Amino acid sequence: MALQWCYGGTTIQTLKLASIPSSSSSAICSRLTPSRTSPFLIKALSSSVQPLVHSTTTSTGSVVKSQWKAAIDFKSIVENKSAVAENLKNRNSSADLELVIELYERLLALQKEVEDLRFERNTVANKMKGKVEPSERQRLIEEGKNLKDKLVTLEEDLVKLTDALQREAQCIPNMTHPDAPIGGEDNSTIRKTVGTPRDFTFSIKDHVQIGKDLDLFDFDAAAEVSGSKFYYLKNEAVLLEMGLINWTLSEVMKKGFTPLTTPEIARSLVVEKCGFQPRGDNTQVYSIEGSDQCLIGTAEIPVGGIHMDSILADSSLPLKYVAFSHCFRTEAGAAGAATRGLYRVHQFSKVEMFILCRPEESNAYHEELIEIEEELFSKLGLHFKTLDMATEDLGAPAYRKYDIEAWMPGLGRYGEISSASNCTDYQSRRLGIRYRPESSASPPKDTKKNKGRNLSPPEFVHTLNATACAVPRMLVCLLENYQQEDGSVIIPEPLRPFMGGIEI
Amino acid sequence: MALQWCYGGTTIQTLKIASIPSTHLSAICSRLTPSRTSPFLIKALSSSVQPLVHSTTTNTTTSSVVKPQWKAAIDFKSIVENKSAVAENLKNRNSSADLELVIELYERLLALQKEVEDLRFERNTVANKMKGKVKPSERQRLIEEGKNLKDKLVTLEEDLVKLTDALQREAQCIPNMAHPDAPIGGEDNSTIRKTVGTPRDFTFSIKDHVQIGKELDLFDFDAAAEVSGSKFYYLKNEAVLLEMGLINWTLSEVMKKGFTPLTTPEIARSLVVEKCGFQPRGDNTQVYSIEGTDQCLIGTAEIPVGGIHMDSILADSSLPLKYVAFSHCFRTEAGAAGAATRGLYRVHQFSKVEMFILCRPEESDAYHEELIEIEEELFSKLGLHFKTLDMSTEDLGAPAYRKYDIEAWMPGLGRYGEISSASNCTDYQSRRLGIRYRPESSASPLKDTKKNKGRNLSPPEFVHTLNATACAVPRMLVCLLENYQQEDGSVIIPEPLRPFMGGIEVITPKLN
Repeated sequence: MALQWCYGGTTIQTLKLASIPSSSSSAICSRLTPSRTSPFLIKALSSSVQPLVHSTTTSTGSVVKSQWKAAIDFKSIVENKSAVAENLKNRNSSADLELVIELYERLLALQKEVEDLRFERNTVANKMKGKVEPSERQRLIEEGKNLKDKLVTLEEDLVKLTDALQREAQCIPNMTHPDAPIGGEDNSTIRKTVGTPRDFTFSIKDHVQIGKDLDLFDFDAAAEVSGSKFYYLKNEAVLLEMGLINWTLSEVMKKGFTPLTTPEIARSLVVEKCGFQPRGDNTQVYSIEGSDQCLIGTAEIPVGGIHMDSILADSSLPLKYVAFSHCFRTEAGAAGAATRGLYRVHQFSKVEMFILCRPEESNAYHEELIEIEEELFSKLGLHFKTLDMATEDLGAPAYRKYDIEAWMPGLGRYGEISSASNCTDYQSRRLGIRYRPESSASPPKDTKKNKGRNLSPPEFVHTLNATACAVPRMLVCLLENYQQEDGSVIIPEPLRPFMGGIEI
Repeated sequence: MALQWCYGGTTIQTLKIASIPSTHLSAICSRLTPSRTSPFLIKALSSSVQPLVHSTTTNTTTSSVVKPQWKAAIDFKSIVENKSAVAENLKNRNSSADLELVIELYERLLALQKEVEDLRFERNTVANKMKGKVKPSERQRLIEEGKNLKDKLVTLEEDLVKLTDALQREAQCIPNMAHPDAPIGGEDNSTIRKTVGTPRDFTFSIKDHVQIGKELDLFDFDAAAEVSGSKFYYLKNEAVLLEMGLINWTLSEVMKKGFTPLTTPEIARSLVVEKCGFQPRGDNTQVYSIEGTDQCLIGTAEIPVGGIHMDSILADSSLPLKYVAFSHCFRTEAGAAGAATRGLYRVHQFSKVEMFILCRPEESDAYHEELIEIEEELFSKLGLHFKTLDMSTEDLGAPAYRKYDIEAWMPGLGRYGEISSASNCTDYQSRRLGIRYRPESSASPLKDTKKNKGRNLSPPEFVHTLNATACAVPRMLVCLLENYQQEDGSVIIPEPLRPFMGGIEVITPKLN
């Protein structure tokens, strides 16, 4: 990120660098007070070496409220206040910037106080080591005790303040790509359109009807067994799901992505670090009773977690994963006809692409991901448009997001089938994923021994994620688009080899 | 089940027929008192027509009176009549069900029902008297008497509810009967039904699957432990292809045998989980529950598949129903620890392909054989060495009448490990899930069964359910990796799977 710091031009990359993550408050104090550190360390502080080297235990810190700390660059927030404020406005965010800045300034002041008190206490302690008259000794002891008590109080305040600051600051969403359209849903721009809606010469059915006629789904039994918005797939629909997954995995693997299957249960800490809210009202996340675990809503979570709290070698980047998992979403608050059938369900299979890369490369990889998606859906013969999402529709982690909406004739409208986000360093600051850029000066071999000496300071990677295939939505598209007058459905060619060659 | 009732010979089928399921207490009373029913209805009672005809509305699942929230259709009469056989079964299975208590509660229930009936009769008599011409003083007395009776009735009816619930609770603990050929005793008494293949002779020192996986970059347990907890894992690279290959191949092989493929929800209401014979809320439960809801994660596709036909009466012509279902399964594995559970052998989440059959009672033994043969064929084709065990009574789960387990040779572990299990649950699950069918009566083949309920139709009977693991992916991975490892560290892929894995033949170590 140090590179971006100096980056001129109009591109405002995320300017959040460095800071707090250790869970021990005394460590916080010593590290955040610039006046006490050498010039090298100030720079190192900005680029987050020293403190973070010790902080590999952030995920287990269980002090007060926020159980973990995102490595947020407060200095940068303060220095770029107006840009941050404008971003908040564009995103319609409820984060309280003023409060964050105020808390931060109070924190700095408090830290100074604590430092001063410590200095005094050390002075007193030192005095007592020398030869001292008994009365003087007594006075010193009392003074020492006083200082210690004050310190304890202040240190407690410091913890609370730090937590409050973290809590507020974590609400601040990622910055936004300058080319992203500003405003609400209607402001999203079309990046690309592929194909045209198919002309039907007969009256068409929606996927629910098709599924009923061809005995492909069972929603009613699922409602009894599990609840609404669950389903069984039957017969050829099972083959279609397996075919879609297998074909998608193999296509994406050809492009150099490492295939993965992931756990579908994750600790809620990890879920939060990816930018989701497991415990909020209207949460999308299912929690497991009696534990701190949740069901994942997307493979983004377990994949993001693989390299949690790690420093990656520059040579290993970019890391490109394609992960298959089942996903579970509560879909709280979603209702209505548009969510009939398979469009919005609680459980579904998904193939997700995930990239970790150097910051300067993330825009390029975002383009690569969206092109892969466009290629996949074109090969399946779908008609769709790619949207550059407007600021109000960007999730908090996303710097820029492209959604693909495909034409669903049965619904009579476009429906989202995929989403590709560049999260820059929002997730990596929370997950603690960094890398050591190759410095041209000295390529170090034994990075573990020489922490913070001759090596480039570690920087946060950028993360990107993109849906390669969300099975139910794909089923809706394929069934509705490929239906024939006689009620049958043609299977797109690319999928046939994966389905034992069946054609209809 | 009426057919089994008359079935002679040494085979003791489950003799639990008929009973309670309605949530209406008055209905319970009237139906369980034999003395008030005609001879036809007594027979019908035994074969569960009349009461159950009214209970096709699925109200059993929604009653929320006291403890057991649903009622299994248990045949108490039969339990009483076959007390010694049931007691012996409990002993053989080392079950903690309290048979004496069940019988005692049942007899108290019958007595209480009689009392309630009598009281009702009296109350009706009093009510009728009041309709005629009556002197005022007499009227007053009658009113008082009526009120008395009513109060008594209310108390007795409450007792009846409690008694019924207690009876249900105790009776549900009684496990299924056991097949007479099932070996009696503990683990060591299970007999070997069949052995296929022999352990492979290795000419080099072998590794276990964890080691192989590490060297070929196939798994990641450490990252999963951070993200999710112990006993979770990521599959990487060829292991992903192997999983997809196993699932696809297994599905296609079993589909060829006439099974309908399914994918299922992995979240189910805990009611359904219980009805299948699992204990979501017990200590040491295998079941994960979802916070803030009555839902759980399934431990096997048996649960959602069993639930498809819950509270239904199937047409005889639709049987047998054969499903092959793919799902992810989640198990807490509470209480399981130790070296034998290292790596993929015992995990919290895994993919499984499960076969499930619903059939007529007289056919279940035959389908049990069919299922085990399918499994044996699948594992033979993959070239595994394994033995099929006929499980002894102490190792049968409560729902199982008979169970065959397949244990495959895992050279890395140096022992046999269970890779599959096939159970015949007879009517244990169907009595709880309420799945019945109407046998074709030779007299009159009926077209419009819905109109003529309980008239000229054969009374509905409970189906039998069977389930069998076609493929439990992690255990298969252990087997394949350990058995097919080569001296150079690579792993050969069995031929049947290759077309499903894009034709790759060998997993080789990657160059760094």
